[in-house]
Amino acid sequence: MRILLVDDETEFVATLAERLSFRNMEVDYATKAAEAIELASRKSYDLAVLDMKMPGISGIELKGMLEKQCPGMKYIFLTGHGSEEDYRAGSSEASGYLVKPINIDILVARIKKALEAR
Amino acid sequence: MTAQYDGIGGSGLQFFGKVSASISHELKNVLAIINENAGLLEDLTVAARRGSPIDPDRLDRTVRNFTKQIHRADEILKNMNRFAHSVDQFECRVDLHDLVVLVANLAARKAAMGRILLETTAPAQPIQFTGNPFLLENLVWLCLELAIASTSAGRTVTLIPEKTASATLLHITGMDGLGEKLPLQNDAGLEAVCAALGAGMATDPAGNTLTLRLG
Repeated sequence: MRILLVDDETEFVATLAERLSFRNMEVDYATKAAEAIELASRKSYDLAVLDMKMPGISGIELKGMLEKQCPGMKYIFLTGHGSEEDYRAGSSEASGYLVKPINIDILVARIKKALEAR
Repeated sequence: MTAQYDGIGGSGLQFFGKVSASISHELKNVLAIINENAGLLEDLTVAARRGSPIDPDRLDRTVRNFTKQIHRADEILKNMNRFAHSVDQFECRVDLHDLVVLVANLAARKAAMGRILLETTAPAQPIQFTGNPFLLENLVWLCLELAIASTSAGRTVTLIPEKTASATLLHITGMDGLGEKLPLQNDAGLEAVCAALGAGMATDPAGNTLTLRLG
């Protein structure tokens, strides 16, 4: 499983990447949209975990950009609060969303479920 | 005295709500990082029990992450506490630069989302402002909202307090989108807060500067 994590909080995304790698996932991470697009242009990923609110861009906007480079890639959104808007975006634009702080077992289960559905 | 707040209507309440929402988002991010680092320690412990050696440097990095996030949360909560207490007195003397730094800190996340950097310049001598601190914070916040919405990503907006012989001023420089028309003519909240404080406003579109005259 090749996973791309994108969140502007470096300590969060780096540590989450390390934890997912302990769970036999191949993980790259980016803290900026441009870095994520660059990574996706060089490598194909099965699923991207995107923060919904990043400087200058929303997770939905970034998903639109990544879809052009990685057709068929699945998405899970991360959010701080889980508003009605986040719920709608998670339901319609992705394979769901998780509210921070996240439970890694739930994230792993969501990733596996999203990839099984492909 | 509460008439000062009656005059600004829902604007003051909206300001309080926006600051609270921004602080809660920041604290969520801090908790998320602490949560991942605690989880990582758990993962490393499980691995150690299975016989994998523990890397002391990795443990040290995790401890430093905890310490960093605790300091970050402490700063956020100090700002929140100062802001919450700004409604304690309807009129008092405050250091203008300190107040401007507080509002810039409260607005930092909002600015970062728009990829705008906020900076403040300390005056050579302290400048005292006598008036309602909450209303002044509200006014500076509304001006920063305007600056963040109208300024191109990547730019720096700087807040510069100044004391002249006749006035106490706050210059907000680096703003795009300023016209001859004053921003308060398009913003009822801004107009109401200016009126409640007795503050004036002037624009210098060529210099990308909005100046508040605070008395």
